[in-house]
Amino acid sequence: MDTQVLILVVSFLLLLVMNVPVAVAIGVSTLLTILSIGDAPAFYIIAQRMSSGVGSFPLLAIPFFILSGVLMGEGGLARRLIDFAAAIVGRFPGGLSYVNTLTCMLFGSISGSAAAAVSSIGGFMIPEMNEKGYDKRFNVAVTTTAATTGLMIPPSNIMIVYAVAAGNVSISAMFIAGIIPGIVVGMGIMLVCAVMSIQRGYGAGERATFREAAIAFKRAVLSLLLVVIVLGGILGGVFSATEAAAIAVAYSFVLAVWVYKQVKMKDLSRILLQSGKTTAVVMLLIGTSKAMSWILAYQNIPQTVSEVLLGVSENPIMIFVIINLLLLFVGTFMDMTPAVLIFTPIFLPVVVELGMHPVHFGVMMIANLCIGLCTPPVGTCLFLGCGVGKISIAQVTSTLIPFFIAMFVALMLITYWPALTMVLPQLFGLV
Amino acid sequence: MDIHTIRSGVRRIIEILLILAMGLLVIDVLWGVVSRFVLGAQSRYTEELATMLLIWVSLLGASLAYGSGQHLGVDYFVGKLHPDAQGFMRIVVALVVIAFAGSVMVYGGTILFGQTLASGQVSPAMGLKMGYVYLVVPISGVLFILESLSMLSASGNEVGEEC
Repeated sequence: MDTQVLILVVSFLLLLVMNVPVAVAIGVSTLLTILSIGDAPAFYIIAQRMSSGVGSFPLLAIPFFILSGVLMGEGGLARRLIDFAAAIVGRFPGGLSYVNTLTCMLFGSISGSAAAAVSSIGGFMIPEMNEKGYDKRFNVAVTTTAATTGLMIPPSNIMIVYAVAAGNVSISAMFIAGIIPGIVVGMGIMLVCAVMSIQRGYGAGERATFREAAIAFKRAVLSLLLVVIVLGGILGGVFSATEAAAIAVAYSFVLAVWVYKQVKMKDLSRILLQSGKTTAVVMLLIGTSKAMSWILAYQNIPQTVSEVLLGVSENPIMIFVIINLLLLFVGTFMDMTPAVLIFTPIFLPVVVELGMHPVHFGVMMIANLCIGLCTPPVGTCLFLGCGVGKISIAQVTSTLIPFFIAMFVALMLITYWPALTMVLPQLFGLV
Repeated sequence: MDIHTIRSGVRRIIEILLILAMGLLVIDVLWGVVSRFVLGAQSRYTEELATMLLIWVSLLGASLAYGSGQHLGVDYFVGKLHPDAQGFMRIVVALVVIAFAGSVMVYGGTILFGQTLASGQVSPAMGLKMGYVYLVVPISGVLFILESLSMLSASGNEVGEEC
């Protein structure tokens, strides 16, 4: 068994370092491992997992949320949400940084993509904040970190990926469980903004009159209603997550094409193509990961990891620290989707044995990996944020530190205070 | 006809297929919801068709996304290398992808397709032969190889121009 584990780990790391697409690296290292066992039909097994592994009804929610996110984004979602957030939090000292954070939370929720939040919201907010005299580095740091909160606030595709990787975890429960932790992370970021804005003497925005606030609300309300429809429908048991996602597509289509009139019918084929490709990137990862988790289970890896970890300590507090540190390390060089797909089957049995609920673990894992999206060397949000703000990663790193501390404190709260995550799903009878 | 012409022609066809499949996917699932609320009974076909379409969208789209460099990779380490070494690594990566697509997707996928077809397994609602659903695996494998060959040929030309 040890030889096979060695082949799997070494070949996978080597392929990653060589910049082989992660999905292919997962497939190739799995292939080599199965071949080294000798008697299994390796090519057939992987081909079978890759195709039937993605053919599941719950996974269909992913292309739909991607499509609805693109439609909303092209329908001018960013500007609407910014004006809405400005009417609420713009009046405080350093107001634009709260506007930025709140908008990222709302946008990330509706679009489901942290990357889209950085480029869309950052595209408006970073230049605006630069112009109002805010420090460039601060602006990039706020946008980069705040954008990740949308991955926790539902609807969220990464939650679906986790539910699928964990097996037997309800997508609805994951969606609802992410709400409070997502808001906690957002509040943590705003707290850092508050301290830094006061220190640096950033000015307050104008206080919106009631009339202005009402107009901003009216312009944003139909977009925000999308989240209400999706969550309301799922919670009310009216439709499944997949059906809710399809309804979200229909709703965003009507809004973008007929109400906001920002998307033309001729844009649709381009939008469908773009969403189809984005979907396929996630699905290929899920497909090859299904093959890898098969070989991991076949080799009893989860049990081995479990024994090793429990050999170090029987104390849950200690084990959760170790798992969080390992995940923080993984997050710095691996993107979120492959990390969730690979490490969920490995760590989940351990934490369940220690009494952690799978829903709680999922939210903790995602909150943890969000930090990795903002750290060098591999941080999707950081790269995008620096690109939008036209500064180098080295310039922004020191300004990011207080934000990392806030995210880490939030992660510790999420880890050691289960009620934070579990109260809402329990209230709605989802767990 | 050179490899790039073939590639862009094939890509255009696959793009159209992907657009149609995505559109159909949305209409299909929405129809499932409508049929349940309006007609009182969920159409038996919608879920089954949707999962089949998802397999096709995923594998066809994956080859297109590979061609446009959208699959996630860890480019940090290679980025530190000398430009010539980076070019060499791109060739190695393309060869790894060809090996994977050829062995797993084309060879393994063809066995999967053949065996499932021979077993006579049909989908529960529509009665469609399941083998045809898996036909997309070898097709996608061929597309991955085509994209890789096109990349290899492009980097070969680059090297040629430098000399």
